Amino acid sequence: MKITFKAAGSEDRTIEVHGSLTLMEAAVRHGIDEILAECGGACSCATCHVYVPDEWLAVTGEAGGMELELLECVEARRPGSRLSCQINLSPAMDGLTVELPPA
Amino acid sequence: MTEALQLERPAHVRPEQFVDFDIYAPPGIEQDFHAGWQKLHEPGVPDVVWTPRNGGHWIVTRNHLLDEVFADHTRFSSRVILLPKASGEQHNLIPTTLDPPVHRPYRNVLNSSLAPRAVSAIEEGIRDIAIDLIEKVRLQGHCNFTTAYSEVLPIRVFMTMFGLPLEDSAKLKAWADATTRGDGSISMGDALERIGVYLKPFLDERKGKDGTDMLSRIVNGRIGDRQMTDTEALQMAVQLLIAGLDTVVNFLGFTFVFLAQNPEHRRMLVDNPALIPDALEELLRRYPLVTIGREVVEDMEYHGAQLKKGDMVATATPLGGLDPSVNPDPMRIDFKRAGAQHVTFGTGPHKCPGAHLARTELRITLEEWLKRIPEFRLADDTPLRYAGGIAASIVAVPLVWDPASTRAA
Repeated sequence: MKITFKAAGSEDRTIEVHGSLTLMEAAVRHGIDEILAECGGACSCATCHVYVPDEWLAVTGEAGGMELELLECVEARRPGSRLSCQINLSPAMDGLTVELPPA
Repeated sequence: MTEALQLERPAHVRPEQFVDFDIYAPPGIEQDFHAGWQKLHEPGVPDVVWTPRNGGHWIVTRNHLLDEVFADHTRFSSRVILLPKASGEQHNLIPTTLDPPVHRPYRNVLNSSLAPRAVSAIEEGIRDIAIDLIEKVRLQGHCNFTTAYSEVLPIRVFMTMFGLPLEDSAKLKAWADATTRGDGSISMGDALERIGVYLKPFLDERKGKDGTDMLSRIVNGRIGDRQMTDTEALQMAVQLLIAGLDTVVNFLGFTFVFLAQNPEHRRMLVDNPALIPDALEELLRRYPLVTIGREVVEDMEYHGAQLKKGDMVATATPLGGLDPSVNPDPMRIDFKRAGAQHVTFGTGPHKCPGAHLARTELRITLEEWLKRIPEFRLADDTPLRYAGGIAASIVAVPLVWDPASTRAA
C-alpha cells in the first residue's frame, strides 16, 4: 500500500508499506524525519502529530481517550489532527495522504 | 480436554469458557512453541477463556482483545503483570508495573534514549558489533548461534548505550539472567543486589552531570518536580537490562531457525536485501514470544465473561499474530503479506519503548549476516528444544555452513 506525506515547503513523499505497522512506524522506517516519535508509540509524547484530511477520517477513525488529551497540548491543532502512532495501517488506507504540521 | 474437568472451575466461569491450557507450556511445545496456541483459535472456543493453570487466570485469544487489554489501564491494571499472580506480586519494576498517570514521567525519561533519532545515532555502532561477531565465526563453518551471536549482541548494545565497560558484559548478563530464570547458582534477590552494587559507582559518578548516555539520563531524570531517586534509577536500569536482552536473543533464535530451514525465503533476502524490513515485520507477526498479563480493576462483563476484581488476564502475544481471523493462514510466512496485525510489542502506554531499537538490531543482523554467510542450515544431529516462559525460546541454535560459500563483504 502507498501513503503520501505532504509538508509545506517540501515535495510530497510517497512510501510503500507492507505488514503490521502503525502510520508512525511506517513513517519512521521510511525516513520521514518530521515524525520524531519520541515515546516509541505509547501515546505519551505527541511528537508524531499529523493531519488527516476529512475524506480519510472515516477510514482512519478519530482520536479518542488519551490521544485527545495529548492533542490538547500540541501546537497547530486542527480538526483532522491525529497522533500517527495510534493509526494502525490497514489495506483500506491504501492511497492515504496526510499532512505534517509546520516545523 | 477431559482431564481439565478434574480441575476446579470457579463459579463465575462458564463451562464453555473453561480450558486446560498452560501458557508456559502450550500443547506440543516439545516440537514447536507456536503451534499449540492455535488450540485456542479453534471453532467453538470463546474469545475469552479461563484456565486453572498458573494460579488460574483468563486468556484473551484474539488480536483485537489483546490490543484492548494492553491499552486500557482503566480496566486492566499493570500492578501485577506476571503469572502466576502470587509470584507476579513480588515483581515490582519501574515503569512496567505502574499505571498512568504515575507511569508517564518515568516512561518519558526513557524516551529520549530510545526514540528513532537516538537509535539512528548509534546504528553504525550496532553494525560494528554485529560485523565483529559474524567475522569471528564466519570461517569456522559452524557455531551455536545462540551463544556466539544472539546472546552477545543485545548486551553489548546495552553496555554501549549505558556507557558501561564492554568487558563487564558477561557478568552483568549472568546476573540479569538470574533475575528472570535463575539456574539456582545465584538467587533473584542476590542477583538484583549484585547488579545494584555494580551500578552504584556509575550512578554516583554521573549524577548531576550532563552525560547523554542512557544511565546518565535515568539518574538525572525528573519525576514531576523532583529528582529520580537512586532506588528508582536502579529499578529502571534493571528493568531495561531484563527487557532488552531475552526478547531480542530469543526472537533471533526463532528467526535463524526459520531461515536455516527455508532456503527459498532466505535467498529472497540475500538477493534483495531491500526486502529485509518487510520480512522482519512478517517474522515479528509469526514469532511473538512474550506472555505477560494484566490485573482486572473491577468486576465487569467482558465479551461474555464475568471478570472479577483482582482476576488476572493473560496477554499472550502469540495469540495476536497467529489469530486467523485477522491473519489468514497464520502459520505461513509471506514476506509480502498485506494488512497483517500483531501485538508482538504490546500496545498502549506500556508498548515496548525499545521496539525501534529491537527492529534496528534485528535488521542489521539480517543485513550483515546474510551478506557474509548467505548459505547455512541447522546441524542435523541435535533436535531443537523449546522453552516456554515469559519470553519463550529455542534453547540452542546450532548452525553449519561451508566457509567457501561465505564472503568477507
